[in-house]
Amino acid sequence: MRISAPYDLKNQTPRPRSVQKMWRRDALRRAAPLLTLLLVLAVWQLVTLLQIYPALIIPAPLTVLEKFIEVVSDGRLWPHLQATLVAVLAALAFGSFAGLVLGYLIAKSPLLENLLSPLIIAFQATPIVAYAPLLVIWFGSGPESKIVTATLIVFFPMLMNTIVGIRSVPPGLRDVMRALRASRWQMFAKLEVPAAMPLLIGGLKMSATLAVIGAVVGEFIAARAGLGYLINAARTAFDTPLVIVAVLTLTALALTLYSLVGLLARYALAWQRRAQRGQ
Amino acid sequence: MSRKLFLLLALLALVAGAGAQAQENTPRPLTFFMTFVPNVQFAPVYAALENGDFAAAGLDITVEHGFDEALGVERIALNELQFGLISGEQIIRARAQQRPVVYVYAWFQQYPVGIVTALESGIASINDLRGRRVGIPVTSGASYSGLTAILAANNLTLNDIQLETIGFNAPEVLCIGGVDAAVIYTNNEPLQIQLRAEQGDCGDISGVRVFPVSEFGNLVSNGIVTNEETIANDPELVRAFVGAFDSGLRAVIDNPAQAFLWSAQYVEGLLTDDALRAALENEAAAQTAFLATAPDSAAVADSRLALRERLAQEFDNAALLQFDVLLESILLWQADQPGYSDAASWEAMQNTLLALIDPATGSPILPQAIDLSQAFSNEFLPEAAEGA
Amino acid sequence: MRLALRNLSVVYPAPAGASFPPLPALGPLSFGLAAGAFVCVVGPSGCGKSTLVRVLGGLQTPTQGQALLDGQVISAPSRRIGLMFQDTNLMPWRTVLDNVALPLELAGISRDERYKTVHAVLPGLGLADFALAYPGELSGGMAQRAALGRVLVQKPAVLLLDEPFGALDAMTREQVSLDLLRVWAQAGQTVLMVTHSIPEAVLLADRILVLSRRPGKLAADIRVPLPRPRTLEDMYNEVFNACARAVRAAIEGA
Repeated sequence: MRISAPYDLKNQTPRPRSVQKMWRRDALRRAAPLLTLLLVLAVWQLVTLLQIYPALIIPAPLTVLEKFIEVVSDGRLWPHLQATLVAVLAALAFGSFAGLVLGYLIAKSPLLENLLSPLIIAFQATPIVAYAPLLVIWFGSGPESKIVTATLIVFFPMLMNTIVGIRSVPPGLRDVMRALRASRWQMFAKLEVPAAMPLLIGGLKMSATLAVIGAVVGEFIAARAGLGYLINAARTAFDTPLVIVAVLTLTALALTLYSLVGLLARYALAWQRRAQRGQ
Repeated sequence: MSRKLFLLLALLALVAGAGAQAQENTPRPLTFFMTFVPNVQFAPVYAALENGDFAAAGLDITVEHGFDEALGVERIALNELQFGLISGEQIIRARAQQRPVVYVYAWFQQYPVGIVTALESGIASINDLRGRRVGIPVTSGASYSGLTAILAANNLTLNDIQLETIGFNAPEVLCIGGVDAAVIYTNNEPLQIQLRAEQGDCGDISGVRVFPVSEFGNLVSNGIVTNEETIANDPELVRAFVGAFDSGLRAVIDNPAQAFLWSAQYVEGLLTDDALRAALENEAAAQTAFLATAPDSAAVADSRLALRERLAQEFDNAALLQFDVLLESILLWQADQPGYSDAASWEAMQNTLLALIDPATGSPILPQAIDLSQAFSNEFLPEAAEGA
Repeated sequence: MRLALRNLSVVYPAPAGASFPPLPALGPLSFGLAAGAFVCVVGPSGCGKSTLVRVLGGLQTPTQGQALLDGQVISAPSRRIGLMFQDTNLMPWRTVLDNVALPLELAGISRDERYKTVHAVLPGLGLADFALAYPGELSGGMAQRAALGRVLVQKPAVLLLDEPFGALDAMTREQVSLDLLRVWAQAGQTVLMVTHSIPEAVLLADRILVLSRRPGKLAADIRVPLPRPRTLEDMYNEVFNACARAVRAAIEGA
């Protein structure tokens, strides 16, 4: 997996000296994440073997794997994964849509920006955990409150990236469209959206991981299901392996979402990759 | 050797000596973990601090409140902390997962959970709950165990009622008719609901009826918890700590007016009424004089009732709400020998937990019974129960 | 089509609260261009050449006077006027094919038809093999030819070119200039091209307008008596040199 800036149009990759070297470097790069994972597992196993911490507090990787198999086969994990997934996807949908719409309007209207920016900055500057308990009081301990929490956390990066994205449309391209008498809709669909796409996808990438954080924050405060809830329940039961299973499931969920957005980016921003290679 | 160097060494020796001496006399710093936030229900702790009981035991106590009881237990199990106020239920669950924690002082003698309902609800017994809407703060912990136990004692199960999670909002939800009954702490919410009913601020409800879990079979509740390591290496520390807390608790039982004044130094906003403060100060002084006559426990109990009546002449129930919480709590703490763990209450709690399924994980809350004799100990209680 | 300027001037207003006065950028300026003429505009930098192109293209309204296309006031962009800038302004997310097809796409022409048109244009620009390349994969000269292609598919009667080859190296620049001449010889558009290069102006134009320092006024109107069609060889004859010298003198005197 590659962590990339949303807009690296001009980024040039250095050219390797020979094909053989290139192949070797490519293989290494591809294997690198796996190597890191193995290293982490090895250190983990070592810590448990040397009993630096009691096994109760840090169970061995194998114990965690056994617990994982146990909760998967008896169907205990799935409802919680499902509850969190539903909240995350709903929040991503609502938050991104709201961020896109409001971001576009603000990018187009300086007056709207002046009206809303104090509110937006205040909301964004306030840590969500500080007011999430209020959301639980207002929206109850069902899925609604965590969807609202996650939606709020998703909304802001999408909003900001939309504003920046729409504003960063090169004026020269606007001139071209104007000279060709493009309609308002053509301006939007054929210029503004594709030009802002790298930033929109960057916002979505950020939102995908933030949505998971938002949902878990909501579940930590009050919920009846979800991986965050499972973590707390397992802690109260002093079932540390289950805590780790739930945490790792969250990790997998976040990584999957991140990768899906990455795939979307590969498709929607194919031109960027081609351009980089061509230079 | 130069004179300067000699002076320096002499100085160092002096400082070191002073340090060593200070170490002997300085009270031992200890962190005392408890849940929630500062509250009048922690009056025994405040009394032991203010009355100098901890200091007399050579302890310098820092109170640490945390919402996360499980985390507190984990830290005590790791011996990062040595003492905490923890529920017996958590101790059973922790020991089931090999955490070496031990319960050494039963602060609450009566299980504080109960079910409250309006006088008008038509619920005159636990059996009348069948099919009714019952609110509960969360489907875990003391409320959940207490509800399960009280239902089981009446041959009901959770499936016979409509359980609704309402958070810690029982007074509001009950008053607007959102539920027919609610699982509550008997020393707190019933007083609040009763007060609102008297003020006409609770719908059509004129008063409340309370069914305490302890009436149907007592369960172990909150108490002082330490770990096996501390018990093995420093039993005197445990004895000293428990003794100091016990003194604080007895002081609260004997002189609630004084305990309330002490608590007000720790609990923000507890005592804002200057007239009440003045009245309590007078009462506290009078009670101290009375205690000097070595009255028996029945006489002390009567003195509390008389105190409440005298206060009622000057203050209404709203002004006395928090004081009433303290008086109600005393009823849950007092015993011939405070702090004594009754094996039957541990058995009852373990049986309750064995029958429970955690709605979060779908697995039994307690997969198998533990050796309860290891979970608690009465051997650190003060030997002579004075005046009892 | 005929282009004409009637007493046209552009003044940029001072920003609100600024201490400096409004900035006159261009004019007053009056001249006419015959249909099918190839005219180059030269002048010192900052003389308002780009402003002139934007006004003629309908992207900017003049402060005073008018720009006319066949006697009609230009008040908005028109599809009959093709614009090209120093920056190719290709959309990096579109292939060459889709970039060149943009004017047709915006005009609502079907996909098949516009691709047919574009595929007919690309070989003449040396881009036949690059239809599916993205602008980021093109060299500067190819990108500029693609931009030219985009203007050409529009089939404009007037071409307004603002230093279109300014970013290219000298060799590429001559190549693309000749491509432009060939295109013009076939279609016979009215061309107004702003350039910095005196030899380029002499090589391409029938007529060279020299603008003065800001605000740009007409300092000289020089005819280029070279015959058509022109080749790079023309750059080495006496007439060419005399003409270039005259333009340089006019600029320096401006």
